[in-house]
Amino acid sequence: MADTIQSSPWTDDGIDPGAVLLNVDNISLSFGGVKAISDISFDVCKGEIRAIIGPNGAGKTSMLNVINGFYQPQEGTIMFRGKERRSMKPHQAVGQGIARTFQNVALFKGMSTLDNIMAGRSVMMKRNLFWQLLWHGPALNEEIEHREKVEEIIDFLEIKHIRRTPVGNLPYGLQKRVELGRALAMEPSLLLLDEPMAGMNLEEKEDMSRFVLDVNQQFGTTIALIEHDMGVVMDLSDRVVVLDYGKKIADGTPDEVRNNQDVIDAYLGVPH
Amino acid sequence: MEFLNNVFVAPFQDMAAAPDFFMQVVWEGLVSGVLYALIALGFVLIYKSSRIFNFAQGIMVVFAALTLVGLHEMGVPALLAVPLTLGVMFLLAVAIERVVLRPLVNQPDIILFMATIGITLFLIGFGEMIFGGENKVMITEQLGIPTGSFEFEPFGGFLLIEQKDLTAVVGAGVLVLVLLLFLNRSKMGRAIRALGDDHQAALSVGISLSTIWVLVWFIAGIIALATGIVWGARAGVSFALEVIAYKALPVLMLGGLESVTGAIVGGLAIGVLEKLFEIYWGQPLLGGNTETWFAFVFALIVLLFRPQGLFGEKIIERV
Amino acid sequence: MFYRISGQFKTDYRSDHALFRVRQDAVLMGIILLFAWVIFPFTANEFVFQALLIPVLIYSLAALGLNILTGYAGQLSLGTGAFMGVGAYACYKLVTIFPEMNLLVAIGLSGFFAAAVGVAFGLPSLRIKGFYLAIATLAAQFFLVWLFEKWAWLYNYNASGAIQVPTIDMFGIRVAGPTASSFVQYYFVLFVVTIMTIFAINITRGHIGRTWKAVRDMDIAAELVGINLLRSKLIAFAVSSYIVGVSGALFVFLWRGAAEPNLFDIPLSFRVLFIAIIGGLGSILGNYLGAILIVALPVILNILPEMVGLEINAAVVEHLNIMIIGALIIAVLIIEPHGLARFWAIIREKLIMWPFPH
Repeated sequence: MADTIQSSPWTDDGIDPGAVLLNVDNISLSFGGVKAISDISFDVCKGEIRAIIGPNGAGKTSMLNVINGFYQPQEGTIMFRGKERRSMKPHQAVGQGIARTFQNVALFKGMSTLDNIMAGRSVMMKRNLFWQLLWHGPALNEEIEHREKVEEIIDFLEIKHIRRTPVGNLPYGLQKRVELGRALAMEPSLLLLDEPMAGMNLEEKEDMSRFVLDVNQQFGTTIALIEHDMGVVMDLSDRVVVLDYGKKIADGTPDEVRNNQDVIDAYLGVPH
Repeated sequence: MEFLNNVFVAPFQDMAAAPDFFMQVVWEGLVSGVLYALIALGFVLIYKSSRIFNFAQGIMVVFAALTLVGLHEMGVPALLAVPLTLGVMFLLAVAIERVVLRPLVNQPDIILFMATIGITLFLIGFGEMIFGGENKVMITEQLGIPTGSFEFEPFGGFLLIEQKDLTAVVGAGVLVLVLLLFLNRSKMGRAIRALGDDHQAALSVGISLSTIWVLVWFIAGIIALATGIVWGARAGVSFALEVIAYKALPVLMLGGLESVTGAIVGGLAIGVLEKLFEIYWGQPLLGGNTETWFAFVFALIVLLFRPQGLFGEKIIERV
Repeated sequence: MFYRISGQFKTDYRSDHALFRVRQDAVLMGIILLFAWVIFPFTANEFVFQALLIPVLIYSLAALGLNILTGYAGQLSLGTGAFMGVGAYACYKLVTIFPEMNLLVAIGLSGFFAAAVGVAFGLPSLRIKGFYLAIATLAAQFFLVWLFEKWAWLYNYNASGAIQVPTIDMFGIRVAGPTASSFVQYYFVLFVVTIMTIFAINITRGHIGRTWKAVRDMDIAAELVGINLLRSKLIAFAVSSYIVGVSGALFVFLWRGAAEPNLFDIPLSFRVLFIAIIGGLGSILGNYLGAILIVALPVILNILPEMVGLEINAAVVEHLNIMIIGALIIAVLIIEPHGLARFWAIIREKLIMWPFPH
């Protein structure tokens, strides 16, 4: 099963493994007078798992929102797959190969698991209104072609039994898994995960960690994740960037970050 | 060229040429604006406290007025009919809370909105069945509302202000003041506002949802009766007037669903602007009767540039 | 017992994407089509055609159009009546300017005018959301009806201000006008409604339908999985308005025979909305169930008291009708917010399980 996916153009983004895939340069973002992010720079290399950590309100989610075009930063540039950009629409970011999951599950609650994951392939489905009206023929062929890919993902995430269940009825842990599936369906070269383990019990966390590692290793997908569970972060990630009050305070391997005095202060709360 | 002149120059020349008439138009607009604002206010109150887009507010106005006149026709003295009508509005509030709102609590907004459309229909059918569908005359004099008029001669011209309109404006002003005092100063008022901010949080500090909802719908009923009296005095009372109740909707678009100030300013603005547009642009250029749509189109255009309305806060979307 | 689904296995995705995944559903559909295409038309009298069959079909189609926009794409519209009017007036202009034009073609084309107007009024939907958008659709409602009244070219400068359907033949058979037979008109309407329904089923189960539902359920998330919101919403407005426009043309040409501007006013919009709500938002079947209920209710209310020997005057019947519809909407929302279509789904589920309770 994994072989079929590896043969697909998932990892074919023209960047060599280990080279810089995403480079965030001097990004600042504010809402009115409130500065959410000030002057942050870091990079994500192809094939790695990069963690973004920091206390609540440090600007982590805002950072992801900037990367996938949901917020437009006031200053700074973003370089993705060798191309520089400042602003873009979120659906264009998906077109370039950035997919994400959300802190609070953002699934389409009225739709089944299958439809939710199929929705992740919207960008790739091209048959227009005319063919859709006829259905039989090209539209159906396209549907089936994408269904096969989606079934691979459903297999991979072990959610076959809930294929036709409306996601609104699923327990939280499974919803998170479906959301990961939807992001995978976009065949991203960069996958952004916003607190993938939040609100999970130990067992669910272990499952999710395994899926994240498998995605990274089997598909070669580069992953940037936000997570509060330090155990998970230190085990999973190759490099960690630490934010606090919208500023970058540390960047390095898990071990380096663990011993950084600024990081310890930020988490234990030294007065600023 | 002539077209541009007709649109951009001639109307203003007309205004300058007859300032007394212009003032008359503005006054008429203000009076209908007061009515729009009152309907919108009842609406904002319910939306603020329960997130329900109460489509029935306009119909409640007609229903209240119809009940008042109907009771009087049955031989109840006018001054007794008013408290009786208020009693009916209270029963209506209780019934709506019991039968409609309570079973639908925690449903999505759109479901509750549609339920209020159901209430609208039910009230139309019920009201017409009991009081008949024909146009009735509001018992203006019996309620002690003066019916004469004042005449002024500004700029050597002529301006007529009917006393019942003036009473309406003053009465509406007093009503709004009392309401604002109630909302901001009383314990119940604060509870209503708390409920609007966060249902769960309000419940957890011991505010009773049912009581507040009955209260809010009853207040909306009082406003409806006041609006109904004023409005009925101008145009008579029948369900055919429900169309005018729709005018409160663009007011809400303009002022924002949650803003009391927005409802008042929006109502007055729309009342005046639609009258001016009708007299100076609509009738000479478009064949008249533009008041049916002007308010909606105007609000739509404003919203394109300010999606949160004039008084709403800027929306920051989060994920 | 009749709804046994065990033993019906799917061995490829193609069969899993079939319209009827269960054989019994196909059989049931066949029976319904048999009634619609053969049994009803050959047994109905003039009254049944005019008071029940034809209006049910036309209202179902209008509700189907609205349901695509509101039930599938989540954009609440209160202006359906006016868009029906656009279809009707466009069709009227087409058949009076090109008297040779086939009526089917004219009706098909008139939908495009409605779609164009729908897209124009749908443009604000990217910036205006929820209830604000619903109110904005009222702008279309009031403005268009005003236009129907004031733009004399639309009704060919008739003194009455109304449009009168001319006599139209198609392949030598009279299909519209005062002398057309209800039997022919029923088949005409049924044909158009069947085609439109097939299109609607196809588009809602395909990927465009999926993007609509995604936008409906959570527009921000839809945008972030790569769905172009404006495009998706505008397609919904176009498809919805097209269907609504066609239903408006049928409404006037194959049923009413004449129309004044106020026919398309807000009560019509609401009637269609009620059909969609009571039938079930986000369902195709529901539109038919809702239309049957809303169209048949006043007919039953008129006939029933007579049958049991009661005398109730017409005005009371009308008021009662309005009250009952109002109460019905509230009842449906309380008991099952997804409408009659969900009732059927539950019954079907029970039939499959029968005789076991779970």
